[in-house]
Amino acid sequence: MGRARGSRLERWFSSLARRPPIDSAGVARLGRRYIYILPTRPGLLLGAVFLLMLLGSLNYQNNLALLFTFLMGSVAIVGMLHTWLNLLDLRVLVRGGPPVFFGQDGVFCITLEDDRSRVRGDLVARMGKRETTPVHLQRDATRSVSIAVATTHRGWLVADQVRIETRYPLGLFRAWSYPPSNARIRVYPRPAERSPVPIPVPAMKSSEQGDMGRGADDFVGPRSYRAGDSLRHLDWKALARERGLVVKQFGGDRAAQVWIDWDRLPALETELRLSLLCRQVLDAAGQGLRYGLMLPGILVPMGQGEIHKHRCLESLASFGNG
Amino acid sequence: MAKVVPQAERPRPSQVASMTLLLGLAWLPLISDIAPRVSVFTGFLLALRLASLRWLVLLPGRWLMLPLTVAGMVAVLSDYKTFVGRDAGAALLATMLVLKLLEMHRVRDLRVGTLLFGFLLVSQFLFDQSPLRALYLALLLVLDFALMADLTARVGEGRRALISALRIAGRLCLQALPLVLVLFVLFPRLSSPLWSLSQQRDRGQTGMSDWMEPGSLDRLVLSPEPAFRARFDGPVPPQDKLYWRGPVIWHTDGRRWTGWPAGLPLGVAERLVDTSEQVAYQVELEPTGKPWLFVLDMPVRVPDGARILGDFQVKDSTAVSDNRAYRAVSALSYETGGLDLDQESVGTQLPENITERMRSLVAGWQREVGSREELVHRALAFFREEPFHYTLFPPKLGANPADEFLFVTRRGFCEHYAGSFALLMRIAGIPTRIVLGYMGGEHNPLGDYLIVRQSDAHAWVEVWLRGRGWIRVDPTAAVAPERIERSDLFEVLAAGAPLRFRLEDVGTLRRWVHDLDLLGDAITTGWRDWVVGLSRTRQQQMLETLGLGHLRAYGLALALIVAAGAVLGIFLAVLTRRTGSRDPLERIYTGFCKRLARIGLPRRPGEGPLDFAQRVTAARPDLRVPVESFMAVYLPQRYGAYPRPAGRRELERKLRRFRPRRR
Repeated sequence: MGRARGSRLERWFSSLARRPPIDSAGVARLGRRYIYILPTRPGLLLGAVFLLMLLGSLNYQNNLALLFTFLMGSVAIVGMLHTWLNLLDLRVLVRGGPPVFFGQDGVFCITLEDDRSRVRGDLVARMGKRETTPVHLQRDATRSVSIAVATTHRGWLVADQVRIETRYPLGLFRAWSYPPSNARIRVYPRPAERSPVPIPVPAMKSSEQGDMGRGADDFVGPRSYRAGDSLRHLDWKALARERGLVVKQFGGDRAAQVWIDWDRLPALETELRLSLLCRQVLDAAGQGLRYGLMLPGILVPMGQGEIHKHRCLESLASFGNG
Repeated sequence: MAKVVPQAERPRPSQVASMTLLLGLAWLPLISDIAPRVSVFTGFLLALRLASLRWLVLLPGRWLMLPLTVAGMVAVLSDYKTFVGRDAGAALLATMLVLKLLEMHRVRDLRVGTLLFGFLLVSQFLFDQSPLRALYLALLLVLDFALMADLTARVGEGRRALISALRIAGRLCLQALPLVLVLFVLFPRLSSPLWSLSQQRDRGQTGMSDWMEPGSLDRLVLSPEPAFRARFDGPVPPQDKLYWRGPVIWHTDGRRWTGWPAGLPLGVAERLVDTSEQVAYQVELEPTGKPWLFVLDMPVRVPDGARILGDFQVKDSTAVSDNRAYRAVSALSYETGGLDLDQESVGTQLPENITERMRSLVAGWQREVGSREELVHRALAFFREEPFHYTLFPPKLGANPADEFLFVTRRGFCEHYAGSFALLMRIAGIPTRIVLGYMGGEHNPLGDYLIVRQSDAHAWVEVWLRGRGWIRVDPTAAVAPERIERSDLFEVLAAGAPLRFRLEDVGTLRRWVHDLDLLGDAITTGWRDWVVGLSRTRQQQMLETLGLGHLRAYGLALALIVAAGAVLGIFLAVLTRRTGSRDPLERIYTGFCKRLARIGLPRRPGEGPLDFAQRVTAARPDLRVPVESFMAVYLPQRYGAYPRPAGRRELERKLRRFRPRRR
């Protein structure tokens, strides 16, 4: 309950809220002016109970009842100060995790560090509707928690509105702060289920018999089934993955080298094209081909390997908006 | 189970068990306070809850909860016939809370339980305000806080979790104590209740009756309920003149004192011979269910419809069943007239159980003194000089209470003193009667009126002396002189505390036991004085010692705000204070340098760690290993691009082991 109350009101408040500054390393220290605190629902209930008991014991002129009433009230007040202290001077560093494809969850890593030699309990990091399980922090200790956030679009997943909150020690008050961060996660386009096969380009030296285009030796890439294709070349595994009828193409003497080209795709909507290209990049990388990427205004030269793949995917991720 | 509760919101069995245990422990002392049927029902539910922790099937489903709730209400209703009022309210609260226990499927439910638990604790003080009960319930409250802490921030499992929760709760309570103290001492009290929750049938019981026997005033003197309020036209008379006259009683059977014998005419009071120091006042009487009105000794003018009887008790035409306001005039200094034959014979009536030692006691005095007046003083001196104690909790007396009290127990309060004194006077042949009423009253500065409580109930004696008429004698005052000066119930207790045993010739152990007894008595007295009995009056006294007396309740509120603010301010300042450096690495390094400085190798200002380490190892080659191993971790941790999280802890370990000594 309570905690997952990401509402319009909350967003409005957080846009007004003061945020602590971050240093060059991206670490925010939750100073005293950046911590907000309000009673939780049990806290409000305690307030009501307190008032009732106060009225009752005053009316009955019962001093011991009054004493206990004050004890409950005072413990709540002192607890409130502890709730606030539980966040005070906590150092928070938000870092983005590895790139993800659109549709997957981006994982942010939030490092909490005690800087006051205090034991801190029940620290929860929250982003939107996702929250971490409570973390207990020992004196001067550092702990990292990760929080998975759903991607909303291709490009960057930005860690805005990170909220660190706590209800320590009694759950009667909730204190929170919005540490800013410049953490972000690359979001690659969502790879299409299948895509047209990119055009293979001839290698430096071509075969003497001429390019037959097709052969049976080297696997070149998949292609949609056309009537007349040999059943032997059907990609059964792809069929099992519900990617439809796909035929494995085998190149004969042509070198395994392709250009993945924006212009070779039908004039579809941008995102759709990007997701097709993404599939092509992944397929090409999966087949161990040498490939290059051509986008309007961007050219990633031929290459191979993990780094090259991510360079291509990054170009796709940042296409159109840097 | 109707709905499936997500795992995260489900309380742990240990937490439910703790709540059950807490409720059970809070319920234990209530057994003697609430009706048996309710106790049995709640006990059954508690047992059921505990059993269902082991055998889940036993937990009643939603459909069974309704009948159970109804059963609980019926149990309360069958014992109390109502749901309102102190007793029924507390019983209902306990029942409902225990019922709620069967429904704790979520952490949220448990939280609500821990909060309402406070109610259950506080309601118990309506029954019992002893220090022992308070201590026990305080312990339960701390445990309740521990459960709240456990529900919020659980650390570890089993014993570790328990210790951690207890530590949090204990620390919070200790830190809250100063604030509790400030609030408790300075929070303005009401001088009279805002509303009365006592049931209708209770109303008649709170009034004063027109008979007296040992124990009959018990429930009155322990009740802080107001009996009436009085506003004086002029200044309030001194406390030792504030004898509020109620029923007058004449006849005794040796145990019970009753009013004027039914068959005899009492007539209307004669006019007072001398009436000076007249005061006029208005009384607002709480309902008593009895016809008499309370007036100051001696009434001169009473409201229309009321009569002053022959023994100067004032009787209204009907019983006072609602709040009744009336005006009266009294003469504080007076002389009543003569004595008619009926009054003389009834006033010297003696019961059959007068013992020989009582007679010889009086006979002894009669030989000593010359006049009846001197005899009265001699009798008062007897109460003053013999070890008589004033206590509100006297030992039980048997068939002959006057004799037992005079010679054996010697502990009692006004009714014991008045009753036995009156008998002694009658043995001497002096016409005597007992007046029941109230003494004193607490001045309420806010409304400028006197509030007289049931706890001010009093009994005193009137003796008739030739030439002086009926004069008031208060034997209780002979025992406790403070009684006359101040009205506070608990100061009366303090006056009853000293025990006048000769202790020189008894053994060490007895003396020790006696000292313990005195200590216990002092604690009880202090408890009543400062905890249970902290009243408006006492708060005003405190303000006056602070020189803030003229501020009245506003001064109290002001002091409360200032003191509470100061306490919280200091608390925050202490907790947010930085100890040493803000950087833990820096702190470790400072500690490292300090240890070296202690053996005569202080770091020079501006000297870097590398230079410093070289200088140290040059001066003390034997320290090379620890210093270099420290630096090997410290330098990359401090200046390296990738400090390891474990590095700091390693440094702390190294620092702890680094104990260089002088050579």
